[in-house]
Amino acid sequence: MSPLVEGFSALLEPTVLLCIAAGALLGMLVGAFPGVTATMAVALASGFTLALDPLPGLAVLLTIYVASNFGDRVPAILVNTPGTPASIATTFDGYAMARKGQAGLALTSSAFASAWGTLVGVVLLMVAAIPLSRLALNFGPAEMFALVVFGLTMMIGVSGGKVLKGLMAGALGLLLATVGRDPITGTQRFTFGIPELTDGIPFIAAIIGLFGIAEVMNQVLTHRRDAVVKPITDFGRWFPRRSDWRTMLKPLAVGSGVGGVVGVIPATGGDIAGILGWDQARRLSKRPEEFGKGSLEGITAADTSSNATLGGSVTTTLALGLPGDSVMAVMIGSMVVWGIQPGPSLFANQPDLVFSIAGIMLIATVLALVVSVLRMRGVAKLLELPHHFLWAVILVFCMVGTYAVGNSVFDVAVMLVFGIIGLFLRRFGIPPGPVVLGLILGSLAEGNLRRALEIGGVGTIVTSPIAVGLLVVSALALAAPLLRAAWRRRSAAKQDTDATVR
Amino acid sequence: MRSTTLRLTAAALAVTALTAGCADRGGVSEDTADYPSQDITLVVPYDAGGASDLAARTLAAEMEDVLGQNIIVENRSGGAGSVGLQHLADSAADGYTIGYLPVETVMLGHQGYDVDPADYDLVGQMVSVPATIAVPTDSPYETLDDLVEAAKEDPDSITVSNSGAGSIWEAATRELGEATESAFRPVPFDGGAPAVTAAIGGQVDAVVAGISETAPAHADEQLRVLAVFDSEPSESLPDVETASEQGVDVVIGGWGGIGTPAGVPEEVLQKLEEAFSTAADSEGFQTIITDSGNIPVNVPAAEFGEFVEAENTRFEQLLRVED
Repeated sequence: MSPLVEGFSALLEPTVLLCIAAGALLGMLVGAFPGVTATMAVALASGFTLALDPLPGLAVLLTIYVASNFGDRVPAILVNTPGTPASIATTFDGYAMARKGQAGLALTSSAFASAWGTLVGVVLLMVAAIPLSRLALNFGPAEMFALVVFGLTMMIGVSGGKVLKGLMAGALGLLLATVGRDPITGTQRFTFGIPELTDGIPFIAAIIGLFGIAEVMNQVLTHRRDAVVKPITDFGRWFPRRSDWRTMLKPLAVGSGVGGVVGVIPATGGDIAGILGWDQARRLSKRPEEFGKGSLEGITAADTSSNATLGGSVTTTLALGLPGDSVMAVMIGSMVVWGIQPGPSLFANQPDLVFSIAGIMLIATVLALVVSVLRMRGVAKLLELPHHFLWAVILVFCMVGTYAVGNSVFDVAVMLVFGIIGLFLRRFGIPPGPVVLGLILGSLAEGNLRRALEIGGVGTIVTSPIAVGLLVVSALALAAPLLRAAWRRRSAAKQDTDATVR
Repeated sequence: MRSTTLRLTAAALAVTALTAGCADRGGVSEDTADYPSQDITLVVPYDAGGASDLAARTLAAEMEDVLGQNIIVENRSGGAGSVGLQHLADSAADGYTIGYLPVETVMLGHQGYDVDPADYDLVGQMVSVPATIAVPTDSPYETLDDLVEAAKEDPDSITVSNSGAGSIWEAATRELGEATESAFRPVPFDGGAPAVTAAIGGQVDAVVAGISETAPAHADEQLRVLAVFDSEPSESLPDVETASEQGVDVVIGGWGGIGTPAGVPEEVLQKLEEAFSTAADSEGFQTIITDSGNIPVNVPAAEFGEFVEAENTRFEQLLRVED
């Protein structure tokens, strides 16, 4: 019990609480502005939070992470534009509800569903993180390699229609991950004699470029001052009735389950979970035909599921040292700088930290829910703020934040180059998230594979039941969509012949 | 279209202005008798938060009191430490830019980086991190001798994790192999903690890491430290013998000191040495370094110079490219 008490009581410092409040405000704001993703916000903030102590710093970053997953529902529901990718599935039913005059109900029930999802995830974190980290001692290089591959294939397998573009982005990230010293021999690769590149591409600079600068440039090209989005003004009733609550029960349960599982899988986050949760709830619903046409069940399932991933992602990150999603990939960078090495040893050295993190997320959830329910009208008003001011400020934050990380002009140059790469990706509809995951998972996959081979050759991998199991599941996950398509074609052909016979 | 061009130009101008704002500060030169008359910058070639950064910051705080000026710690990481070390070597030799010199100062030059210990004037050494070798608690190897015998019997079969390719701990593993005429198989991990975890989990046969990383695991009975590669037994591992006591004459480990760009006026250097010595002896510094598991020392410039030279020769031989 004592780590729990210690972890929670460490939060009772004014600085930490202040940081949580600041993070919640920032998170709600960045969530509410389409284009500013949670990944980008956390990346931008980490340029500044590195100067703080670990706990206040984590308080800012984690709260942004949680709160942006509330704020992003607002534009999803009111203008059919997800504030961050995690609310893609919110648009399916949220916007439809808003058009039916139920915007108020959609906003509030979405906030409650999001809060419930986050709570489930945090409970999962508190219960599962320490046992998982014990299990993680059995996770040597071979198993880690298999788990990273598993995460990568899940990311590809469930990204739906965008498989090819997601793959391209992921491959680009993997390629970029080869820059720097060879993890085993220490030989320099693709560094072109630039000493700054020997530790690999500066990670925080690259993501600020990909997400921040790229979006600023995109806005420079596409923004029109007069093109003001007209948000919905007829909100209808705000609070769910008792019958609404009853309708929400089942999707809440389904969403929690789907989100929890997806969250724990490395590299998969709220966007994927939202869609999967929504889809699963539709299959299990008594009224599946209403889904996509303004179903309260749909929006509840989507938001519960996407937010239930938060706790799971943090669990994987802390227990195994593998990023649970792209936001956590960014956060690992900051944690390492703070001297917090995510992975099994973290719990041996700092058992109270996991509870501090859970505590921060709980406070953040409560804050975000209160703000969402009490001030939803105000948050909705944010959508009318002229965006050109916002982007100018973000440009300054990108530059200053990147320079502040390592006092290095080289980092700033890297950020600008990645800004241009990111702009091209955006204009061609290639998601930047997989690039980041490829960048971080690529070096994890390579390092662990090489280490496994160094320890005992191929035998290290094939004699490990965990590694073999994960690799087989990965292969199946990749093959499944192909097999299903083939099967569907065959049964379609069979039906055709049946019809002719008849 | 015109307005897009205009906006792009505006954005480009803003980016240029902001980049210019990130430029480096120029050097200062003045009468050495007044030294120090303004803030001093202490370059640390690693990110904030690590063990080196902690040692440098703690010492800087104590030196501030003696010198009566602020010491601003500037983290310039990258290139395995070479970026910060090169920056220090290129700074003005006026005593207003000093730097933290890690063991890598004598290693990087032999690993293809543009780093040369001759580019620095030394002020003193303040911290020492002896290497240790440890095995999982259920390991069949009870003593250093057992492990060495196994490595002799079947060369390259004993896997030994370390914090990374080219690290001092990988070099220490090779040194142990050469000194005992056996061969271990170093397995580089991504940082010291994962390397230690791999040994706890039994993924590798042993781990070579700094004493601050293995001592806590030894106390928790997760690891068994077989030997400390230091000249005398360590306070944090009272029950473990040194390698020399077990007949293996290897003393190796990480260390950290303070240096300046070469060519600093004698008067200035002397003031820095005095301030350094007082700071390294202070209770505040000693307590924080001891608490972090490492060993605070206070080696004056001349002696530190001889040590650095000896280390440089040692690593020149140890790190020679073999293939």
